[in-house]
Amino acid sequence: MNKQRFPRLLLRSGINYQLRHRWQALLALVGITMGVAVVLAVDLANGAAKASFALSSAQLTGAATHRIVANSGQLPAALYSELFTAAGHPPMAPVISQTVTLEGYRGRYRLLGVDVFAEGGFRNDLPAAIRGDTSLGDWLARPDAVAVSSSAATALGIDLNSRLTVRHQGQSYTLQVLLISDNDSVASRDILVVDIATAQAISGMHNSLSHIDLILQADDLAWFEGRLPPSVKLLDIQQQTEGVVGLSAAFELNLTAMSLLALLVGIFLIFNAMSFSIVQRRNLLGRLRALGVTQQEINRMIMAEALMLGVVGSVLGCVLGIWLGQGLTTIVAATISELYYQVSADAMQISVYSLLKAVMLGLAGTLVATWLPARQAARTPALTTLSRAALEQSSRQQLPLLAVAGLVLVITGLAITFILQGGVVSAFAGLFVMILGAAMLTPVGLPLAQRLLSRLPLGGVWRMATRDMQRHISRLGTAAAALMVALAATVGVAIMVESMRGSVSDWLQDLLNADLYIAAEGFADGASLPAPVVAQAAELDEVAAISLYRNRYVSIEGQRTRLIAAQLAAESRQGFDLLDQRAGGAWNGYDSGQIMISEPLANRLDLKPGDGLSLASPGGDIAFKVSAIFRDYASEHGRIFMDLAVYRRHWSDNVVDTLALFASEANQQHLHLAVTEQLADQHALEFTEARAIYRESMAVFDRTFRITEVLRILSIMVAFIGILSALMAVQLERRKEFAVLRALGLTRAQVSLLIMLESVMLGMLAALLSIPTGMAMAWVLTDAIQLRAFGWTMPFIVEATPLWSTLMLGLVSALVASLYPAWSASRSHPAPQLRED
Amino acid sequence: MKRLVLLLSSALILACNSPEPDSTTRNTLTVSATMGGTPDPGFRRVLKPRNFEFPADHAAHPEYATEWWYFTGNLQSMHGERFGYQLTLFRIGLRPGAAAEDSTWRSHQLYMGHLALSDIEQQQHLSTERFSRAAAGLAGTQANPLRIWLGPWSISGSSGQTFPLTLSASSDTFSIDLHLRASHKPLVLQGDHGLSQKSAAPGNASYYYSYTRLPTSGKIRFQDRDIEVEGNSWFDREWSSSALASDQAGWDWFSLQLDNGQDLMFYQMRGKDGQPQEYSQGVLVDQQGRAQKLSLNNTRLKAVDSWTSPEGTIYPIGWQMQIPQHAIDINIEAAIADQEMLHTVPYWEGAVTVSGSHDGVGYLELSGYSRN
Repeated sequence: MNKQRFPRLLLRSGINYQLRHRWQALLALVGITMGVAVVLAVDLANGAAKASFALSSAQLTGAATHRIVANSGQLPAALYSELFTAAGHPPMAPVISQTVTLEGYRGRYRLLGVDVFAEGGFRNDLPAAIRGDTSLGDWLARPDAVAVSSSAATALGIDLNSRLTVRHQGQSYTLQVLLISDNDSVASRDILVVDIATAQAISGMHNSLSHIDLILQADDLAWFEGRLPPSVKLLDIQQQTEGVVGLSAAFELNLTAMSLLALLVGIFLIFNAMSFSIVQRRNLLGRLRALGVTQQEINRMIMAEALMLGVVGSVLGCVLGIWLGQGLTTIVAATISELYYQVSADAMQISVYSLLKAVMLGLAGTLVATWLPARQAARTPALTTLSRAALEQSSRQQLPLLAVAGLVLVITGLAITFILQGGVVSAFAGLFVMILGAAMLTPVGLPLAQRLLSRLPLGGVWRMATRDMQRHISRLGTAAAALMVALAATVGVAIMVESMRGSVSDWLQDLLNADLYIAAEGFADGASLPAPVVAQAAELDEVAAISLYRNRYVSIEGQRTRLIAAQLAAESRQGFDLLDQRAGGAWNGYDSGQIMISEPLANRLDLKPGDGLSLASPGGDIAFKVSAIFRDYASEHGRIFMDLAVYRRHWSDNVVDTLALFASEANQQHLHLAVTEQLADQHALEFTEARAIYRESMAVFDRTFRITEVLRILSIMVAFIGILSALMAVQLERRKEFAVLRALGLTRAQVSLLIMLESVMLGMLAALLSIPTGMAMAWVLTDAIQLRAFGWTMPFIVEATPLWSTLMLGLVSALVASLYPAWSASRSHPAPQLRED
Repeated sequence: MKRLVLLLSSALILACNSPEPDSTTRNTLTVSATMGGTPDPGFRRVLKPRNFEFPADHAAHPEYATEWWYFTGNLQSMHGERFGYQLTLFRIGLRPGAAAEDSTWRSHQLYMGHLALSDIEQQQHLSTERFSRAAAGLAGTQANPLRIWLGPWSISGSSGQTFPLTLSASSDTFSIDLHLRASHKPLVLQGDHGLSQKSAAPGNASYYYSYTRLPTSGKIRFQDRDIEVEGNSWFDREWSSSALASDQAGWDWFSLQLDNGQDLMFYQMRGKDGQPQEYSQGVLVDQQGRAQKLSLNNTRLKAVDSWTSPEGTIYPIGWQMQIPQHAIDINIEAAIADQEMLHTVPYWEGAVTVSGSHDGVGYLELSGYSRN
């Protein structure tokens, strides 16, 4: 026989088979398509977030290579003058950078105060814009001059000479657009450029700068030696932005892991479809073997078929993924903008690399999923005499082996996660191994379920259905496994989110125990309270106790970390959930100049009570002793509490930015009114009750996890398609069997009922098994992955809702998937089906 | 009225502050375009001679639109290598009156600096430009002790007296550190007791005085070596609020130090037709420091050589000057053909060699030739 020709014939046979079983092929395709689409969409959304960050930081830093920043956050302006008048200084640009809002517009904007004469080498937009008709005199002399990029002008719907009202720390400033620079980068859309003098007036930073940008050559660093006071730092611009990139890495990793989970479900679907097609074709394969087709040729034929499905599915997946990616980018951008930095939603770029990666994953997944079925097909004995019953028999015999392998994988997965104690990546790897093991255990559940269900005193169709569960192990097993994995993913993520939500909620309720909080308007952007407000508030009769707070950032190992200097009333202290403290008491230590650090910070730096932590103060580095570690979900970078008096001594900063007021028992109703009456008229203040802060915080939390919700729905969709495909394939193949049953006297309704009962049993089995798997997953997610990604721990909270909703989901999707097969089986006439043989 | 190079009032464009300006993005303005237009009426005009008071008048006069401190000089190393230098600080009033007081960085005063070094032996001319607002200590002037500065570039006197003056400035590739001592020659008030009329319109004038010969010593750092130098500098001070008349294109300005101890300043105002105009004038300072006026009537000036810049601007860099009344008939030749100052406003300013009836050295400034 012609060696060359035969494989082509074989291939054609394979293609013909798939074409004849269009539905089956289509469902396998959908599996690949959905898996690839979700992976690609998440990849594109992550890429967009990253690109957007790089772009906006490039807009802000320009060509700067280094930056001088102050430990206190405010750089003395005199330092710039000193450096600028020193001989041989490298190119330098003073910058005031503040977050502001614009009246009539949503969102936050970046007010960038620069000196146009220093800008040339850094950010060329502005110098380039002061050409033509624009007067440099106006730019420098007019306190209301503002420049925007052309993209900002378009986004804001403004033109030259338009007025913009900037709000900063409770004050309004009306600016007039004097220049529109030729810059259509979306990243410049939220940047308002003003002269540094104007920025000083608006920000109130009369003697200080945000930072000095530098363009340094290798040997310029030496120039700064001895010229910088200890209260400032010279940082590499890369170092400076890395902190911000790092914080979104954990978020990104979570998304990627979830998208891979979707792919895993997709791979199960392919596996299911391919192994089913082999079972279905065993006669054909046996004949081929009898005709002299070698094992390798059969193997190659099956792999080629799968590859074709893989190619088509991956390409379709790319198309769908780009569309999905657009939607995900919007959600990711909203979340990141909320939590970290401004990201524009239209930053999505379709990169060839992402597409290639998705296609490769799709193909690799297909090949991995087909490997086992192809081997099985190749081993088909020549001119098979193997009956279905014998095949199922052998499947059943392999069950103990499968059970052992599954158990080993589950244990290995958990061991990788919890014993190896690696990073986030190893925890995810362990998670995947564990899920794979659990999936292998699923078919083992089928005979067990049969044994249990057949004991029920129900007869007729019920008994037939339970028996079928065991008879069709080879086909139903993988379908059940695919459904189980998808359902487990939804259970796991739901429990994790619930645990977290519950922990955050408890923590907030403990923490926010004051009756009223006062901050200056624009607190989030650094506004502080006028000194008289602090004094007056403490004097009010209605106030029984008061806590004073000063918020600022310190840099710890390159990471912006919040430092809260606080004079805490006893009531406020009760709000802290101390996880670990020094002998002698946390608060004694706190009162004597020690600091308390949050759990994420303690984990990040591996600190225990009694250890020292060095903080950069204006006078240089100071070593503080840690008195206690408290539970905290406010920031994955950690927070530090320090006594206000200690802070004032080292930072020479007497500012207070928030007050927490506690009313005496009798005055609880009147406090808000009394305080507003006495203080509101004189100052721009924000009065917030604890429950409003709580509400807002929880809203942010929910928005943050909206993306998780979307991914959950996507994986349920993949799972649904999986069970639909598996059931339809099984039931459609059994048409002949149903014809026999019909011929033996079963009514149409009984046949339909049989099919639906089987489906529901399968769905329930998968759903029931998904619950322990999902809980194990949630355990890994909360105890290992959250801890490693964010540094916090949380109590494991299992609520009933995700559990029963998963059961319902399994049930409903199985039921829906059985509708068409039930309908079509009941409609078919037994005679033609039987005649075929 | 020499260097009215830069009245960058209404259309100043910024060259980057980078040490090597990129010639493609460099702004080019013609002098008459820059200086055209009516001066802001809020600035004071130069209408009558004033009583100069020193050292106060060495410092800035922000009530006038423009002002400069202009140093040029010819120097020699111990090995006889010849160098020329120019250090000029310009003050430009962007708006009359005091700036808004909303910030210590707000200012109506802009300083621009030009620094150039001519290495005659190697026929190399290096120059740089920088800018700053006069606020927050970045640039400005003070009378006592005298200090005029723009970033690290500074002109500083000693307490209670103007001289010796220390000039200190650097670019990426060279720096100067020079001490200028007083000579026996007093300062020369140009024009009518220091009022130098530029065109017929009243107020189109400047206050103008010069130190024509200041013995100079110090160091220049160039090509990684410190070179001790000695020679003479010329220091011009001028401020005004006026612009060129609409028919004026620019000027050719000479400051010459003759070997016999005489110093000669002459500027020729050119109309847009290229012809010299009647407000051209000068001064001849004798060995004792006595000044005699020169005008177009007694001075004949003829361009005899020219140099075309890479951008196509033709500069007359060789001249013949005849002042029969003082028996002067000299040839003035550029020490280097290319001493073009290609910065915000392009002009030619460079060291020259004098020969003929008298030998000597000097500086020549050619403005208003660039047509870009």
